[in-house]
Parts: sequence; structure tokens; C-alpha cells
Amino acid sequence: MIDIQVFPLLLGLSAAMFTIGSVGVLVRRNPLVVLMSIELMLNAVNLAFVDYGRFLNSEDGQVFALVVIVVAAAEAVVGLALVSQVYRAGRELDIDDLSEMRE
Amino acid sequence: MSTTLAGTLAVLLFAFPLAGALGNALLGPRLGRRFCNIVGPGVVLAGFVCAVVALVALLGAHEDARSTTVTLWSWLDLGLHGLKVNVDITIDPLSVLMCLVITGVGFLIHWYSVGYMGHDESPWRFFSYMNLFIFSMLLLVLAADLVILIVGWAMVALSSYLLIGYYYDRPSAVQAARKAFITQVVGDVALYLAAFMIVTNLRVPSLQLPTIFAYARDSFPQGGALITGICVLLAIGAFAKSAQFPLHTWLPDAMEGPTPVSALIHAATMVTAGVYLIARFHTLFDLAPIAQGVVACVGMGTAVMAGVIALSQIDIKRVIAYSTMSQIGLMIFAVGIGAYSAGMFHFATHAVFKALLFMAAGNVIHALHDEQDIRLMGGLGLTMRATERCFLSGSLALAGIPIFAGFFSKEELLGLGWLHGPWAPTLYAVGVGVNILTGLYTFRLFFTVFRGEPVTARTYAAHEAPPSMLMPVVILAIGSLVAGIALLLGIPGVVGRFFLADFLDPVFTADGGRLLSEPATSTAFLTVLVGTAGSLIGSGLALQWWYQRKPDAQVIAAKVPRVLTQLSLHKFYFDEIYDALLVRPPRRLARALRTVVEPEYADGWVEGVGRAAASLSETFRMLQTGRLRDYATGMLVAAGAFVVVLAVFVR
Repeated sequence: MIDIQVFPLLLGLSAAMFTIGSVGVLVRRNPLVVLMSIELMLNAVNLAFVDYGRFLNSEDGQVFALVVIVVAAAEAVVGLALVSQVYRAGRELDIDDLSEMRE
Repeated sequence: MSTTLAGTLAVLLFAFPLAGALGNALLGPRLGRRFCNIVGPGVVLAGFVCAVVALVALLGAHEDARSTTVTLWSWLDLGLHGLKVNVDITIDPLSVLMCLVITGVGFLIHWYSVGYMGHDESPWRFFSYMNLFIFSMLLLVLAADLVILIVGWAMVALSSYLLIGYYYDRPSAVQAARKAFITQVVGDVALYLAAFMIVTNLRVPSLQLPTIFAYARDSFPQGGALITGICVLLAIGAFAKSAQFPLHTWLPDAMEGPTPVSALIHAATMVTAGVYLIARFHTLFDLAPIAQGVVACVGMGTAVMAGVIALSQIDIKRVIAYSTMSQIGLMIFAVGIGAYSAGMFHFATHAVFKALLFMAAGNVIHALHDEQDIRLMGGLGLTMRATERCFLSGSLALAGIPIFAGFFSKEELLGLGWLHGPWAPTLYAVGVGVNILTGLYTFRLFFTVFRGEPVTARTYAAHEAPPSMLMPVVILAIGSLVAGIALLLGIPGVVGRFFLADFLDPVFTADGGRLLSEPATSTAFLTVLVGTAGSLIGSGLALQWWYQRKPDAQVIAAKVPRVLTQLSLHKFYFDEIYDALLVRPPRRLARALRTVVEPEYADGWVEGVGRAAASLSETFRMLQTGRLRDYATGMLVAAGAFVVVLAVFVR
């Protein structure tokens, strides 16, 4: 059995991953890296879910994590498709440059 | 008659025309003219067969057992003192007579339309509207529930509107349709008010007509103010539908519709719905002598007025339209004095010969390529012999020349007017005057159109109508010859004497109503003699003027007071009066609102709201940068704020 003291550590790790991911989303300009950062954030949340699930002796956390993985896969498909289409259109892969939606 | 048979017949009577209306509308454009030409008249013929079956079943039943009311299904149940609206129908002599005329004459007119509308672009639209009208009219006459009756009442106005405005690319037709519909709505509102008064004052458990009548007899005193008010409102509804003074101005304009429509709706059936309504509500009217007096006076007044106007009109259809108005005036007079069977008798014969006149006029119009001005006709008897003969038969019936249909029905109702009604026999004398007028305008029309010399090249080139347009006319011509004799004097072995009166009277006596006393034989003979003399004088004057070669309107007009000719020519100035009273003031008000109130007061508010929204969105627009980073920051900050709020305030 894992020692009870591991839970706060895992939570801390999750918080760190989430922070790293969100900073990555905010500061990086390459959409691929931004997508990877989002993935990192999602996995941080997964870790927190599983952690809490174990802490509370419930399977709900794991179930939720599975759902998040499925949604993350779908999100990655859409995101990568967008990126590849932008690349095929001959545009530079720079998030700050892709701002026509304002108009 | 068993309720099952009555219910089945009623459902079939509704189902056939409704199926025709839907079939023509939905399948017609795909399947083409042929399909419409078969289905349009076919469903009406099927309805006629049902009506004949109903007639046979009624004649087979005992005289007192001829009224069957069936509840088809419950429509709505309000629960408020148990008020219920059921889809109830009544099969009784009155409704069956109406059904026979609607489907019988209706079928002939549909058949005629096949030829008349042969070059029309959208026969499916025409037949769909026509079948819808037949359905609505049957709903109106078969309804045994006040609400269902009102539904039918409004639906015939709708189909009339659709058919008057059938040529929707003609502004005058659209105007006429609108005018007819608006006038009808005035009557509808009066009918609704009457229904509301009945419901609130009687506290009836259901709106079934027999229930209403039974409650009314028990709770309204004879001649009370309330029942008089209800009956006057009902009468206003009837006046609007039947084109009676002061709601009559729509009928002549309704002639903008195709001629079969004029024959079906504005001569034979719909315009007589007012007569039917009063006959159906006879229990209430018997309780309100003042309302009856109003009805009788308005009927006779309209009869005279329309007769005078018909003398000077130059449009062939309008002359017949005014004559319709005049004849319906006589029917309204009849039901106003309580001579319900006589009124319905005149309705039946009038439907036959007036449909005939319209369709024969349609043949003339068709042959002259849509010419309706009688001054440009003349001598058509030479080229259109069959149509001329039929038109003559209809004219003789309309003028009330003995042995023709109109003679029997008109003299019967006028004869009863000698003894009954307000100021009897003054109104009877007026009725004789109407007879003179009828003879005059009828034969003025006949001679001008069919005799004399052709005036234009077109009249020379006119040719007789094709068989599909001639056959229905010939059938009706035979009908207008024999209908009166058959229904009044009887045909040995087939129908008895006074057949129609014996058939209908039980309807009006069933709930304690009394029949009018018939005049003594000598009096009756005298009234018939005087009335016929009136008809003959009128027709004879027309004949004499014609053969003295003075059909010139100027010469004849010079002999009567100028006021009268002016009134006749300008249709008693009703259109002008209504225009000045009802059309121009609202229009002026609207113009004032548009030029003064709107720019000065209203626009500031309305545009202010728009401007405020625009400037607000201009401000918010700055938030939308299009950069992913800004949005992500916003989301993160919001999520962080949410966490803080949760941590601080929610424990």
C-alpha cells in the first residue's frame, strides 16, 4: 500500500504540471507546443483526479480520468488537423499571426 | 334515421370535398389538369350522392323522427361549469335541403368550371379552393354546435376571399377580395358577440344548438331585451354574409372573381347562409319579435334598393349580382316574418335559376373574350341560341312569370307577407313593387344582351359555348322550369303537393314553434294575382320599351325623377359614404401619425435603442482581439478567481 503521505506530494506534482502547462500555453508561439502544453494541463488534472479518487476510496476519480483521456484524444485530433491545414495553406505556424477571427 | 347512418353520411360529406381540396392542392400540380378536372367535380358529385342517400333515409323515416344529432367526437372540454364543445352534426330536413343544393348545384358549377377554366394556368388552385368552399359550406349547414357552426361560417368567408382574389395579379380583384373579407368579419364579430351573450347568460352545459334552444325557451321571456339583442347580433351576422343593407357593398365587387365562383358562392350558396342561419335559430327569433321586424324590414328594404340599382348597371355580372341581393332580401324578409319554409323554398329555386343565369352570362363573357359591358353586346341570340334559350328560362324564373320556378316560391313568401310581419300588408305592397323592378331589370338585361343588332365585331364573331359549358346550363334550365311546380304542386307518384313545406315544417314546429297561418284561399288567390300582375307589368314594360325601339337609357331615364336615376346609377352612394366615413378618416389619421408623431416623438426612442446597442457593442468589440493568448489568459484568470472565491466563501 502506498503511504498516506504520498497524496500531498502527488497533488503538488499535479499543480506543478498544470502551472508549467498553462505557462506554456500562454508564452509559446508554436501551435504544436501549445497543443502539447494543453495535453500537459489535462494530464495534470488526470493525476489530481486519480489521486483524489484513491484518497477518498472511490473509483469516480479514475472513471473521470478515462473520460478526460478520450476527450483529450478528440481535442488533439482537431487541434492537429487545424495545425496541418494552416501549414498546408502556406502560413507560418505562429499563434499570434493567426488572429483573423477578430474581423 | 339511425345515428350510425347519420354519422357516416356526415363524415362522408365532409371527407369527399376535403380530400378533393387537399388532393388538388398537393397532387394537382404534379398530375396535371386532367386529374383536377376529374377530381374537382367528382368529389362534389360523391357528396351529392351522400346527400341523396340522406334524403331517401329521411323520407323513409317517420315525420317526427327526422332530426338526428350525432356527436362525432369531443373537441374541447373546458370544465368551466362543464362547458363542452363537441363536433356535433345534425341531419334534418333543413340541413339535408341545404346539402342537396350545395352539392347538386355545386357539382354542375364544378362541371361547368372544367370548360370555363380550361385555359387557366393553375386549375389545381381553382378546384382546391372550390372544394374547400364546398367543405366549409357543408360544415356550416351540418353543424349542430355553435362553435362548429362559427368555424364553418368563417371558413366560407375565407374560401370566398381566396376565390374572389383568384386572379391575384389584378389589383381590382385583390381589393374586392379584401373588401368582401373585411365586411364578412364585421358580421363574424356580431356572431361571436351573440355566441358570448348566449354562453354567459344561459349557462348552458354545452354549445349544442338543441340545448341552447331548449335553455333559451325556458329562461328568456318573450320579447325580452336580452334575447332581442342576441337576435339582432345574429341578424347582423346574417346580413354581412347575405349582402343585406348596410353590409351589402361587397357583393357587386365580388364579381371580380371567376364566373363559376359568382355562380356558386355569390348566388347559389354562401350568400344564402344568412337565410339559413335565421331559419336554424328560429327558436330564438320567435322569442324576439322586434328583431324579427328588423330582419323583415331590412330584407325588404334591400330588395327594393338592389332592384333599383340593378336597373342602371351596365356590367352583366353586376346586374345579376344586384338581382341576387334583391332576391336574398326577399328570403330574409320571409324568415323575418317567420315564413321559414317559404324562405328556404325560395332559396332552393333561386339557387337553381341564379346559378343558371350566372353560368349563361359566363358563356356570353367567354364568347366575347371577357367583355362584360352590356352596351357592347346585343344580338347574341343569333349566334348563341342555346345559351339564349337557357338565359330566357332563367329570366322567366327570376321575374316570377307563372309556371316557372321563381313564381311559386316568390308568390308563396309574398302571400304570407300579406298577413304577417311588421305593418302587414304594407311590406307586401313593397314586395309587389320589387316584383315590378325584378321584371324590369331582368328583361332589360335579356333584351340588351340577346336581342337587337350586334354592336361590335366581337359580337358577330361570337360562337356558342362548348358542350362542357352548355350541359350544366341546360340541366339547370330544365330545373328552373320544373323545380317550382314539382316542389309546390307535386308530381303524381313521385312527390306530393306542398312537398317542400311538409318536409321542412316539422323542423320549425319540433320545439314548440308555431307555423304562420296560411291566408284563406280567396286571399291567397288575390295576393298571387296581384303579385303576378306586378311581375308581368315589370316584364311587360321592359318588353314594350324594347319593341318601341327605345332601349336608350336617356329616354327612359328622362321619365323618372332625376334623384332616382342618380341614386340608381351611383348605387345609393354607399361606396362613397363608406369611403368618407370609414376609409378616409383612418387613412388621414395614419398620414398624420406618419408625418408628425413618428418623426417627432417615436423615432427618437426607437433609434435611440438601436444607437445604444451599437455603441455598447463597439465598446465590447475591443475585447475580441483574435489572439489565442488573450483568450487563454482570460480563461485562466477567471478559473483562478473562481478557485479563490470557492476557497474563501464556500466552506
